[in-house]
Amino acid sequence: MADILSETVAPADLKKFEQIYHEQLSSNSVTSKAQFEYAWCLVRSKYSADIRKGINLLEDLYNTNQEGHRDYLYYLALGTARLKEYSKSLNFCSAFLSVEPGNQQVLSLQQTIKKKLEKEGLKGMAMAGGLVLAVGALVGVALATKGKPSQ
Amino acid sequence: MSGGPYNYSYIFKYIIIGDMGVGKSCLLHQFTEKKFMADCPHTIGVEFGTRIIDVCGQKIKLQIWDTAGQERFRAVTRSYYRGAAGALMVYDITRRSTYNHLSSWLTDTRNLTNPSTVIFLIGNKCDLEAQRDVTYEEASKFAEENGLMFVEASAKTGDNVEEAFLETAKKIYQSIQDGRLDLNAAESGVQHKPSTPGRNNLSSDNQGSKDNCSC
Repeated sequence: MADILSETVAPADLKKFEQIYHEQLSSNSVTSKAQFEYAWCLVRSKYSADIRKGINLLEDLYNTNQEGHRDYLYYLALGTARLKEYSKSLNFCSAFLSVEPGNQQVLSLQQTIKKKLEKEGLKGMAMAGGLVLAVGALVGVALATKGKPSQ
Repeated sequence: MSGGPYNYSYIFKYIIIGDMGVGKSCLLHQFTEKKFMADCPHTIGVEFGTRIIDVCGQKIKLQIWDTAGQERFRAVTRSYYRGAAGALMVYDITRRSTYNHLSSWLTDTRNLTNPSTVIFLIGNKCDLEAQRDVTYEEASKFAEENGLMFVEASAKTGDNVEEAFLETAKKIYQSIQDGRLDLNAAESGVQHKPSTPGRNNLSSDNQGSKDNCSC
């Protein structure tokens, strides 16, 4: 199902913005615009190493560039959520909402993350539960077979 | 809901574009939530919304990408145009500059989407008649010259908001039925969901629904 977290960047787009960023990097003149555009593509990549790199670039921007704070926070929340680092991601959402409490876009991202967390948490619990049952069954079988010869 | 894995048979991808502050996100919100969002902040990058609608007896899921109007997002939001089946191009009837920029929005859309993409022009904020800066006639002429569908709407009152989204879907659905839109093309912006066993395929749908279809 497509949603804001599962949408991925087209490889050609990622490449395009990567090239711009690297050109500026080699001439030591990276603009916050180029860095943001590249990071925005990276956090939407299929590969977690890319997402990680995007998060680092956004954190760097956040520390050096005051005016784009809301943009950086939003994409930090999105990037960390895509890495399944949900508590970090929810912290970024809260930080954003403490400045702009009613922001629908961030509220809806927050909701999507909470739903994911709930779903994956339940799945984790179900798997753990399954494991307990399986171990229980094995122990039961072991006990049963152990008991047999004495009969 | 009749037992299939999907409760819709198609997915249409839409984009909403236009200058900042024309009310793109408010139109989306009005369409998906049936509520008006007052004091809507600037969108960051892109926002996403969905709604399942009914067109000619078919359930269609709209996946809507609402792009930020601010210039600094423009380079990346362009990549969302690709593969859109419908494009809602919005201006504000009380601000002429947003209307004057339409030709550049249109050029972008034509360059980045495919020829079968349905482009719908929306003149938003038609509730603010006293502050009108662009006449209906002028915009209507622009739409006609460029082969666009057109309506004036209000995200605040909800006037014509449903119509714009639904008419776009009808037009796309028509293109599928006419065979003008190739579902197998990678960037048609339309996905056909596998039908449940025993249900009609597209071609028999075509014959069956043509008569009672109002579009």
